[in-house]
Amino acid sequence: MQATKFQVKVYTRAGDIELEKLIPVFHEWIRAKKISDELLIDVADYAHVPQGPGVVLIGHQSDYYLDVADNRPGLLYSRKRGFDGDFQAGIDDAFRRALNACRLLEEESSLGLEFATDEVLFRVQDRLAAPNEDATYDAYKPALEQAAGAFFGHAPSLERLGSEREPFAVRISTGAGGTVADALARH
Amino acid sequence: MTSWKEQLGDRIPDQLGGEVDLFEGQIALKKQGKIDDKIFAETRLRRGVYGQRYDNGLRDDGTGQKTLTFPCGDLTKGPDTVWDAPGMMRIKIPFGKLTVEQLEVLSELAEENSDSILHVTTRQDIQLHFIHIEEAPDMMRRLASVGITTREACGNSVRNVTACEYAGVCTTQAFDVTPYANAITQYLLGHPDVQDFGRKFKIAFSGCEDNPCGLVTFHDLGAVAQVRDGKRGFRVVVGGGLGAVPVQAKVLAEFCPEEELFPLTQAVARVFARLGEKQSRARARIKFLVQKVGIDEFKKLVADERETLRPDERWTAFLDDLHATDETPVREAGAVPSGASAGFKAWAEHNLKPQAQEGYYSAIVKLPLGDFTAAQGRALARLARELTGDSIRCTVEQNLTFRWLSGADAETFYEGLVALNMAATGAGTITDMTSCPGTDTCKLGISASRGLTGELRKRLTVIEDELDPAIRALRMKASGCFNSCGQHHAADIGFTGVSRQVGGRKVPHFNIVLGGQWTENAKSYGLVVGAVPSKNIPKAVELITEYYLANREGAESFQAFMARVGKKEFRKVLAPIQKPPSYEEDPSYYSDWGNPREYTIGDIGVGECAGEIVPFVEFGLQEAEQQLHDAQDALEAGQAAIASAGAFKAMVTAAKALVRHLEVQVKDDADDVVANFKTHLHDTALFHDPFAKGKFATYLLKMHDDQSFKSANDEIAHRTLDEAQLFLEAAHACYQRLTEAAATAAAAE
Repeated sequence: MQATKFQVKVYTRAGDIELEKLIPVFHEWIRAKKISDELLIDVADYAHVPQGPGVVLIGHQSDYYLDVADNRPGLLYSRKRGFDGDFQAGIDDAFRRALNACRLLEEESSLGLEFATDEVLFRVQDRLAAPNEDATYDAYKPALEQAAGAFFGHAPSLERLGSEREPFAVRISTGAGGTVADALARH
Repeated sequence: MTSWKEQLGDRIPDQLGGEVDLFEGQIALKKQGKIDDKIFAETRLRRGVYGQRYDNGLRDDGTGQKTLTFPCGDLTKGPDTVWDAPGMMRIKIPFGKLTVEQLEVLSELAEENSDSILHVTTRQDIQLHFIHIEEAPDMMRRLASVGITTREACGNSVRNVTACEYAGVCTTQAFDVTPYANAITQYLLGHPDVQDFGRKFKIAFSGCEDNPCGLVTFHDLGAVAQVRDGKRGFRVVVGGGLGAVPVQAKVLAEFCPEEELFPLTQAVARVFARLGEKQSRARARIKFLVQKVGIDEFKKLVADERETLRPDERWTAFLDDLHATDETPVREAGAVPSGASAGFKAWAEHNLKPQAQEGYYSAIVKLPLGDFTAAQGRALARLARELTGDSIRCTVEQNLTFRWLSGADAETFYEGLVALNMAATGAGTITDMTSCPGTDTCKLGISASRGLTGELRKRLTVIEDELDPAIRALRMKASGCFNSCGQHHAADIGFTGVSRQVGGRKVPHFNIVLGGQWTENAKSYGLVVGAVPSKNIPKAVELITEYYLANREGAESFQAFMARVGKKEFRKVLAPIQKPPSYEEDPSYYSDWGNPREYTIGDIGVGECAGEIVPFVEFGLQEAEQQLHDAQDALEAGQAAIASAGAFKAMVTAAKALVRHLEVQVKDDADDVVANFKTHLHDTALFHDPFAKGKFATYLLKMHDDQSFKSANDEIAHRTLDEAQLFLEAAHACYQRLTEAAATAAAAE
């Protein structure tokens, strides 16, 4: 069994986010089918929860959060269903979808959002298939380096985060200073 | 690589593991088309796997209803419930008690299977939303490995047994009700006598009469601890409930000795299973059975049933060790440091309560709308492991309480909360509102109760320190519909979601319910003062509290004030904000809190005439509202029969308006109105609510048949007014449906 519940978080450049402004934006994404190859269902508002998931665009295949965990706002892509492809393709796809959502948010003039590309958080929400331990890190490291290198153009440095109780998580310092559009164009 | 079943192995108790395996098998059979939709729906509900809004595959995006095309195609998990549609898992937490390990596992599931949020309900459950049904079995296995089952969390069964969160540490309890709540949970889980109910059955325990934590009076069965002549027992009440028509439970036994509690409960269950309504869900709760036969006859039925029961050693076995559920503190008792920080002192004022055990405290973590994140859950578990041990309780006010906190550690605990952004002050005050999920996720929600509560909370928190203590002490609660899961009837200021048709468009509203009593186990319920547009509710709260402060006498409580001035005065206060502006003037009134979509459902035509001409039916409904208000005034004035007759009159007026809207000639007398209403609106199902079906129509028909309103006492008048209120809401909804149908037909032409 291979884990597929990958999460990729791309941080915003500015620290303060008016989460309420995301709600009409995400509703409009549902109406306009803005992510055309995914079924988007609803918007969950958790702006009232400090350091929480913020505002969530709920989909069938995946969710998109404007997440404020650890007081570090960012777009969190979260795949929920299986991925039809190999391991590397699954990781590449998660990076691509996260960056694409960032690009779409940057295009929303009402938000004034800009995302940084120098650091990305990668997580796997599957403690059975991907426990937070060295063996998992060893298994994921090459694929994460390849994906990060392909999108951001530099050899990244990786750091495993958290304890056994927490989901497997890796901080990826990309060494990049470009834009989200640059990253998408590169891969 | 392995499965959770293999991974957890014998950590899953055999019984629970077998049940999960069975459920997994039923999922497979359903996918093969080998189980009927209705049977599968009840099967999953009894395992806590619930539906959620839009699970019929339809969603209005603000411009019209659209189909959500899930990959599962035609596969369903119940009538009109799409297989792939996300659902909710309700996880029973008996008497709200959580261990550290349980909190950790729940947090893991929230991250892996939900949206990272754990939601505490008003009945001490934990709910996770946006779950896919096929992930449910492994979630259940992981829960089972730490002693949690979702069995009978939903469905027509005994729901979570609730109890005071301070049981065992309370300074006013007669004794600790925890071992009794625990034992009866185990005894009734899966018991054959509780499998054939027409509706759900809720049990609550309270350790004392005066404090509200147990809220037994609005439960199907409530037990209040009593000691008589040195012997333990319970005052047992039955047939309470909120819902559409709130009813105070009746006393079944003034003193039931502890060894008789289980057989008495079992006998009640058997009577309910045998005689309770099974066809009409709307009248299937036990409160209707108690009302129908009367409490004296009900007592006799239960006594007779008790005689037929075969003795069961489990009735009393748990009494041999009433300390089995005791909690062990992990730290020595100590005093709260005298030089604590100002922040700690402000938090401790409402969030730290001394226990009966000297040197120990219960710390309340005030949760916003009952929500906390998985990461916060893990961090709280770490705090508990270090400072309080396995003594966490979910509360009916949607908070978490950590018991057995040494006073010496209280500031350390507080600092831990500060680091988690969880040190909100004012537990149990006006900023600590409870709310059901409402339109956020509930299929039955009419208005955005969470959106409203979030907005009120945000506004009030900013001015919390400036609030007069009398205002700060008030409780506010919101429900998204008449089903009352937000327990708004028991609040000083309660809200229940309704909708109104204005100029051809729907406007979200909340009925304001004032004067409910939270203390003495929610001894009395509030009454509706009037409907106010959702967007005017914050203003309404301002007006209500200002009026109270300006006119109260001395330290008069809100309830005493209400009793003195009456609701009529409050209606005057609210009158200026009850009418929303036109859509053209301010379209924001036509969407709900936290949801920018236009509240109107479907493509209702906004013809020029619709905005300018008020049809007769709207006049009629308005007149009915006025009549109902007058009836409420009469009740306040102690004129029960006049109030009851006025309520009936209001229903007749509303019915007449609708009948005439169908272009049916009708006379002014009630007999003719009711006969025509029955023929043209009830028998045709036009009046039927999509979920409650004909329930609200029967209020009128029954009242007309039995003429009970003519000799009403206070209790009957109260009920009649509640029923009339619901009938009027249904009349508004019916009118909206008729308008939409006409618009759709016109568009088709």
